[in-house]
Amino acid sequence: MKTPILEMKHIRKTFASTVALGDVDLNVYPGEIRGLIGENGSGKSTISSIAAGMQKADSGEMRYHGDSWNPVSMIDALSKGIGMIVQESGTIQGVSVAENLFLGETKQFPGPFGTIDRKAMNAKADEALQAIGVKNVSGATPMGALDFQTRKLVEIAKVVMKDPEILVVDETTTALSQEGRSILYTLMKKLRDEGKAVLFISHDLDEIMEVCDTLTVLRDGAIIRHFTKDEFDADAIRTSMIGRELQGDYYRSDYTPSHLEEVAVKAEHISLGEALQDVSITVYKGEIVGIGGLSHCGMHPLGKILFGAVKPDSGEVVTGDGVKVTSETVAMKQAFGYVSKDRDVESLSLTASIRDNIAIAGMEKYAVNNFLMLNSREKVYVDKQISDLSIKCADRDQAVSQLSGGNKQKVVFGKWIGRGSEVLILDCPTRGVDIGVKRAMYQLMTELKNEGKSIVMISEEMPELMGMSDRLIIMKDGRITHEFARSTSLSDAEIIQYMI
Amino acid sequence: MDNEAILRKYKRRQRLIDILPVVALAALFAILVATVQSKGYRLDMYLKIVFNEGVVLAVVATGAVFIYTLGSFDISLGASTLFSATLGVMTYNATQSLPLMILVIFGVAVGCSLLSSVLASVFHIPVFVTTVAMMSVLSAIAAQIITTNGGAVGGISIPSALVKPLDNMGFKIAVLAVFWLICFFVFDFTKIGRKQKFLGGNPVCAQLTGIQVNKYAIIAFVMAGIGVGLGAFLTLVYTPSVTATTAGSIGMNIVVAIVFGGMPISGGPRSRIYSALVGGFSYILLNNILKLLIDSNIGYGVSQIVSAVFFLAVVYVTGLNYRSQMLPR
Repeated sequence: MKTPILEMKHIRKTFASTVALGDVDLNVYPGEIRGLIGENGSGKSTISSIAAGMQKADSGEMRYHGDSWNPVSMIDALSKGIGMIVQESGTIQGVSVAENLFLGETKQFPGPFGTIDRKAMNAKADEALQAIGVKNVSGATPMGALDFQTRKLVEIAKVVMKDPEILVVDETTTALSQEGRSILYTLMKKLRDEGKAVLFISHDLDEIMEVCDTLTVLRDGAIIRHFTKDEFDADAIRTSMIGRELQGDYYRSDYTPSHLEEVAVKAEHISLGEALQDVSITVYKGEIVGIGGLSHCGMHPLGKILFGAVKPDSGEVVTGDGVKVTSETVAMKQAFGYVSKDRDVESLSLTASIRDNIAIAGMEKYAVNNFLMLNSREKVYVDKQISDLSIKCADRDQAVSQLSGGNKQKVVFGKWIGRGSEVLILDCPTRGVDIGVKRAMYQLMTELKNEGKSIVMISEEMPELMGMSDRLIIMKDGRITHEFARSTSLSDAEIIQYMI
Repeated sequence: MDNEAILRKYKRRQRLIDILPVVALAALFAILVATVQSKGYRLDMYLKIVFNEGVVLAVVATGAVFIYTLGSFDISLGASTLFSATLGVMTYNATQSLPLMILVIFGVAVGCSLLSSVLASVFHIPVFVTTVAMMSVLSAIAAQIITTNGGAVGGISIPSALVKPLDNMGFKIAVLAVFWLICFFVFDFTKIGRKQKFLGGNPVCAQLTGIQVNKYAIIAFVMAGIGVGLGAFLTLVYTPSVTATTAGSIGMNIVVAIVFGGMPISGGPRSRIYSALVGGFSYILLNNILKLLIDSNIGYGVSQIVSAVFFLAVVYVTGLNYRSQMLPR
């Protein structure tokens, strides 16, 4: 029997009104990639963030190589051997990639008169990035110039260059394209082969089963079961996660593409720098249009252009009634809604409550004469969304930052659905949410389609694109390369050839 | 402890933090009364001083809450008050018209405020930066006008009989109450206030929710300008003369007052309009208590230090729940 690198005993943690962990024991052994899986709010991120020094447990004991383990911060934990790549953005914009990598450690690059030798620092940063397989980013690049996926890769380099004994990867792969995922998997396997350990958190069961050696399932702040590789069984894991059998269809049950005759929105000859080249799409009422491709294919900026949030260099977005969508305000007047991939920055105000976040987009629905805000009407409006979407929360005034990823995403959906959005632009709508919430979202999308609403679903996940779209548009290098109609015969291999 | 018990504990703590500024105001009032009486001074005189100073600060701070809610700072509000009052006095002395004087005061106050916000949006620079520039420019122009027309010490003035009938508690309470109620209504019961709070919490998300950043910033500055106009007029009612130092410290005092009133310095959804009222009077009470308690020769420096320590303590306490809410899960 191996001696664990990290032992966590009787760990308990509460957040305001919520018990996140109740008396949890977890051991991490050398030479293993241990998966942590569970529904949103099950305690996966909490237990791993306590191990990585992001926060402290209310009670319990931790031992690292047999010694008491009480890191005072993530930096402290990383310097002593446990590093974590967080779920949302863990980098600082406004400074360079190199400055992010060597934050607080710039003294190792002394320049003349107490300055920093930036040239040396940038060169070292380039080296660190190349060591993990990131070749197209330089240390001198401003962090703000990078997209979400590349920022995540920089963050990975920042942790890995410290050569941690235990690497915690918290739902990072949802931010990465296939290429980024390959980089991460290679790193994880390398650490395992060196006798180190990886704690890998993901909602993607296939990925977990493929990558991990052992698996721990959490539910409602407690450990439900540990699986070894030979015990891996998708149904058994799912049942452990949610405590019951999943009922009903996961994706849409029909395989016939359908929509109404009327056009909901049309994008014509859209170009934007190098990101988009002469892209035209038409979305009909009652249609789900999936847009897929690699992360840099241009689909994410296209979503923003459809919502009027980014002005294209040329081309225009027009509604079925002929209204040009030139800004977010116009888009909202035309009953458009936009769910961003970068949820915590672009879709939610984390300092605000659930109520504030849901109510802000739907004020014209409940304000008296579209002006006067009455608490009683607002509460009814917000409570309906909380109830319809089964948002798990203490009450409507709970800070949205306290919610799990899936429940945060439900708040974002509530914000747009509550106001009766007719066209929903969903950029990676199920990123970082568990299978229970995913299924609920897919069912909701099907209901919305059946009500005649239009959905543009931008996603990097093939199964959901194939499972939900009436029409699937594939993009590569800023252009549309192919369009597929919904069909039972559609396969990953057929689609991927138009992506890469 | 079960979830219900934890929720109850959390809400109790939140309520406690919410009422703390009011408790502090009551405590400071009690300390002032006790101090004045123990020293054998006239309580009515001190209460009048506190009221007259407090009402101006509370009025200007109430308007300023709209700017602070956006997460912006306006350090030029004191200079705007001085500048508006100066041009108001000059207008009266030139025309002998009280309505015109009032009109000029409000026009100038709102104009200065708007100019700060327009400059910030046109040149895409932080509002704080434009208000620093505005503070210097407005103070310099006002000082020039005052020294040219009346002398640096004596300043310029309007006849005291002109505003004497208004120099009473009833009028000032009415002005403060009406303005505060209007602001309270706009802030908490209209789309304007709700959008401004959301904008202060996350401007990126607000924009992607269809909130027009410039429009709501301009409305915030107009509200602040009205507060400055009222503050300038009430200053003239209290002392019908204007010197180069009139209202000089208001800009910084507002920051302290708003924080004393329990509003987060970063603005956003937890902003409260009552913070200006409660904090404005708390700050003036604290200042007067310190003046009474500390020897006047060393008093100024020590008072400032005590105020600073108090300020930090209040920021820490009011931020307690916010910090615990922000812990990642």
